Amino acid sequence: MKSVRRAVAASAAALLALTMTACGEDGGEEPLSDDALVIYSGRNENLVGPLLEKLEDETGIDVQVRYAGSSELAAQLLEEGEGTKADLFFSQDAGALGALAKADRLETLPEATLAEVQEGFADPNGHWVATSARARVIAYDPAQAPEVTEMTTVDAVLDPKYKGKIGFAPTNASFQSFVTALRVTKGEDGAKEWLEEFAANEPKAYDNNILVLDAVDSGQIALGLINHYYWYERVAEKGADAVKAKIHFLDSDDPGALVNVAGVGILAGSPQKEAAVKAVDFLLSEEGQRYFADETAEYPVVEGITSTKHDLVPLAELERSSVDLNSLDSLEQTLALLDEVGLT
Amino acid sequence: MTTPEARADDATPAPTSRGRSRVPFFLSAPSVVVAVIALLPIAYLVVRTAEAGASRVAEIVLRERTVLLIGRSVLLAALVTSLSIAIGVALAFLATRTDVPGRRVLAGLAPLPLAIPSYVAAFAWISAVPEVAGLAGSVLVLTLCCYPYVYLPVLAALRRADPGVEEVARSLGRSPSQVFREVTLRQVRPAAAAGGLLVALYTLSDFGAVSILRYDVFTRVIYTAYRSSFDRSTAAVLSLILVLLTVAISVGESRVRRRDIARVGAGVSRAAQPVRLGGLRFALGGAAGVVLALALAFPVGSLLWWFLNGLSAGIDGVHLAESVVATTWIALLGAVACTLGAVPVGILAARHRGRFTTVVEQVTYAGHALPGIVVALALVFLGVRVVPWVYQEAPLLVLAYVVLFLPTAVGAVRSSVAQSSVRGEEVARSLGATPTDVLRRVTLPLAAPGIGAGSALVLLTCMKELPATLLLRPTGTDTLATSLWTQTGVGAYGAAAPYGLALVVLAVLPTIWLMRLTDRERGTPR
Amino acid sequence: MSTLSIRDLDVTLGDRAVLRGVDLEVPSGSITAVLGPSGCGKTTLLRAVAGFVRPESGEVRIGDVLVSGAGRQLAPERRGIALVPQEGALFPHLTVGQNVAFGLPRGERRRSPRVAEVLDLVGLAGFAARRPAELSGGQQQRVALARALAPGPSLVLLDEPFSALDAALRESVRTQVREALEQSHATALVVTHDQDEALSVADSVAVLDDGRIQMHDSPQAVYRSPSGLGVARFVGQCVELPASVSGGVAVTALGPMPVEAVPPDSGVAHGVVVLRPEQLRLLPLTTGEGTTGEVVGGEYFGHDALVRVRIDGNDSPLEIQVRTLGEIPERGAVRVGVSGPGRFYPT
Repeated sequence: MKSVRRAVAASAAALLALTMTACGEDGGEEPLSDDALVIYSGRNENLVGPLLEKLEDETGIDVQVRYAGSSELAAQLLEEGEGTKADLFFSQDAGALGALAKADRLETLPEATLAEVQEGFADPNGHWVATSARARVIAYDPAQAPEVTEMTTVDAVLDPKYKGKIGFAPTNASFQSFVTALRVTKGEDGAKEWLEEFAANEPKAYDNNILVLDAVDSGQIALGLINHYYWYERVAEKGADAVKAKIHFLDSDDPGALVNVAGVGILAGSPQKEAAVKAVDFLLSEEGQRYFADETAEYPVVEGITSTKHDLVPLAELERSSVDLNSLDSLEQTLALLDEVGLT
Repeated sequence: MTTPEARADDATPAPTSRGRSRVPFFLSAPSVVVAVIALLPIAYLVVRTAEAGASRVAEIVLRERTVLLIGRSVLLAALVTSLSIAIGVALAFLATRTDVPGRRVLAGLAPLPLAIPSYVAAFAWISAVPEVAGLAGSVLVLTLCCYPYVYLPVLAALRRADPGVEEVARSLGRSPSQVFREVTLRQVRPAAAAGGLLVALYTLSDFGAVSILRYDVFTRVIYTAYRSSFDRSTAAVLSLILVLLTVAISVGESRVRRRDIARVGAGVSRAAQPVRLGGLRFALGGAAGVVLALALAFPVGSLLWWFLNGLSAGIDGVHLAESVVATTWIALLGAVACTLGAVPVGILAARHRGRFTTVVEQVTYAGHALPGIVVALALVFLGVRVVPWVYQEAPLLVLAYVVLFLPTAVGAVRSSVAQSSVRGEEVARSLGATPTDVLRRVTLPLAAPGIGAGSALVLLTCMKELPATLLLRPTGTDTLATSLWTQTGVGAYGAAAPYGLALVVLAVLPTIWLMRLTDRERGTPR
Repeated sequence: MSTLSIRDLDVTLGDRAVLRGVDLEVPSGSITAVLGPSGCGKTTLLRAVAGFVRPESGEVRIGDVLVSGAGRQLAPERRGIALVPQEGALFPHLTVGQNVAFGLPRGERRRSPRVAEVLDLVGLAGFAARRPAELSGGQQQRVALARALAPGPSLVLLDEPFSALDAALRESVRTQVREALEQSHATALVVTHDQDEALSVADSVAVLDDGRIQMHDSPQAVYRSPSGLGVARFVGQCVELPASVSGGVAVTALGPMPVEAVPPDSGVAHGVVVLRPEQLRLLPLTTGEGTTGEVVGGEYFGHDALVRVRIDGNDSPLEIQVRTLGEIPERGAVRVGVSGPGRFYPT
């Protein structure tokens, strides 16, 4: 019993010491200055961390970043309301930005900033602007399905010869956007019919796009529905020869070639508006855009910037999918539809 | 030895009696504070629900999909809970009462799956065996992660149960297996029920594992409500349904516990004569080994595999160390806060039963089945408005841990206090000790091992917590769980593995402490 | 050391009236046992005196202090009492010495000569450093008593203090406890269901049944002259003989015998005569005394034996128990003699 008491005392002392050290660290190392620019980033730290550090270096703005999921952060920002400490919201997708804009939580961006991006990559009301884009593509194993290069539409994957040989990531937001695009282009009934045929082809569900690409690359499946940059990253990492899988872009007006964006908006009432605009401009600057093109293999949204690392098909060449980004905010119905046809 | 009935009747007045001393203020006041804290997210949900309006609420509740998914959640919780009870009780029995080979090793390893976050286990499974997706896989993974919640209290109960009762049953002509069913199981029933409650609530609240395993349950609708339409009212209505489910389950559990048979008689605890399993020795030992292999070796093995694969990319040692330190101190603060909050409520529950106590105790369970995101957003809402100076600082995160994990600690305090004799406290009073003196000099020192074990359990749980930690952590602080999330978010499993392994290694320490405290409890005479 | 007086105490637990109008006086420095069957309310009485149960009405005074009654309910720790519960209830996390020192004022706990003193009193000198788990049941019980005596309480309350001990130990511990209580001049209230315990330890015995004190007197009076048939039956073994009484003499199956407690004014009364087994003797057949009967069985205890004898009564055969030295006689005819008066209770 004595030793228990001693253990408790020791742990209490250790705890106290730890707390004090921790507080000391907070106080000493990283003072929470009021004039820091606080960014809520729904984009992964591994992807954008270096860029945001660069932002700090280049602009001299003191930046503090909180990372979490885009939708969780959007919900958090909505709950925080005017009490938020955030100045900037960096989102993985347009939906989260749209929700904040709808709740009047985003400032209108300066015309000059909005004008920097190609047409269609900014919120029509000027509340947010895209920073990079990603396209849906078909990854394929040339040994099993060389004919994929001839595909023009995603309808081709419904061919029974691909039965059990298609991979997809049902919980991935980009796949869900694709389904929404299907609904927009084909109508509710058409989309449902498409999904039912797709389900009948017994596609294999994976947890994420990377695992889909892995499966295509190892020849377990013939096709995979993924975003383009996963393949480019893989090629950059392993070398083009080491990657067996190839990707194919469908016709630009096909829902299978949907272009999704990541974007940024300034929180209403931010005391750091000036710095925030500077930060947005940095993300849209040549340096910022090149970072997306080179490091994350995404499409820059500013005209004239190309990747130095990846052989990206130019965004202009993909043109814009005929799907309006603003019609992509009906995710709930999409999820209900996926559930109905059993693709979860 | 007098019969329990006679003794209970003679010495312990009915709880409703006037003769029973009133609940002392130093217990009731902090308990009320704790209950109010636990109610914070509920209050928030009620506010949000009220915004929706009655017709919208009815529409959400009566939706076919809502009803279907409630059904699925209940089914999942029922399956995981029953299996966890079966496995937890079986392992605890094997480890304490039989001659199964390697039972000491078994006793030590069996609680370790607590250290493995369910989302890590789920990922390990689905990447190795994609076919596990769905109900079966979710039941498998959650059961393997959750059975220690049953195993630990049942182990403790078996160790302090009077083996004399079992010997009497044998002498009255019962076979060993009949004794197990008719006597042993009944003795551990309250402990198993308390553990089962935690499992059920955990399963209801889990989102990570089921979403990885692609089994659509109720929490998924809540997440979807946030994710798709950013509709907080819908999410609130759905969350309140979850709270109602929780209350229903915990009321059921307390019914089981009310029939708790307290130990009577003087008998100093002594080790039970192990049951000879004979030919089944190796078969049962093998079965226990399989459980441990699936629950422990498999996820740890796959973490190691990823770790070795990712070694080439190098490990960010500094960040790893920082994450370990941050995880440790935040989880320790969480464990201490939960325990402090649980002490008054647990003592109330053990010593002063009544309507007030029942309400307070049930209320502490309310937040437990809520997904972390809901609790986090409730505290975001309140934190920004009421205590902006601690918003996104450690205190608010610790508060979230209290709301989420209080029941674990309350259960530990309650059972360890209930276990020590009321007589001792009365003697102390008669010798001039005031009620607070009694608490300090008798009740708490005696319950210390049990309370310590509860804190260790909370510590483990806090270490693994992700959704609330992500939203409420101090800016710039990464815990092991958030680092793991960051790495897996971009598919960098090799880079994620060290954080997962560190989490397991770090969690082993409190688990060992927990086992030693459980051991020690056995040695105390009554 | 003070007088305990309980007046008209009513205690209700739930819907059940457990104690009804209990009056009891324990003189300063004496030991009173409350004797009663299980469930009679004796533990409740003890807990009401200690302050763990709030009485419905009535008064409890310790010395001059009203500790319970008239709307006043003094907290247990302020009553200057000490409790010795069943099985001792030692604090397992403290040593014997720390247990004993528990009730001493804060400053004196560490190094008070009182600890050694009371441990010596209960015959456990030198045990201070031991753990309760290392002690036998009897030793634990004595430590519990030492712990109670250490602060010098006005009143010591003992709840079935010896029931957990085995028979052999019980007697020696009982003697030691009695001596210790006497030496410390403590006022003590012992509740028990064990007649031997009550009669041998206490200066006076109160018999509690059905929530009321049925009789309160010296141990001898309680045993020899029970106030009623219920008390008689409870405090010891009874031989009950149907009888009719007139003029102080009862006519029974064992012949005429003198009786006490006859209602003075009546002529002939019917009822039972109660004798204790030791008042009966087995006599050789050859003697002319006593009444003839037949041995039908018996129980052997070593120091003596209990023999069941059938007596042919006027109406129906009667079985009685006779205490006898040594062996149980062979079956067959014996004579049964009576010594001393019986107690008559009209029916």
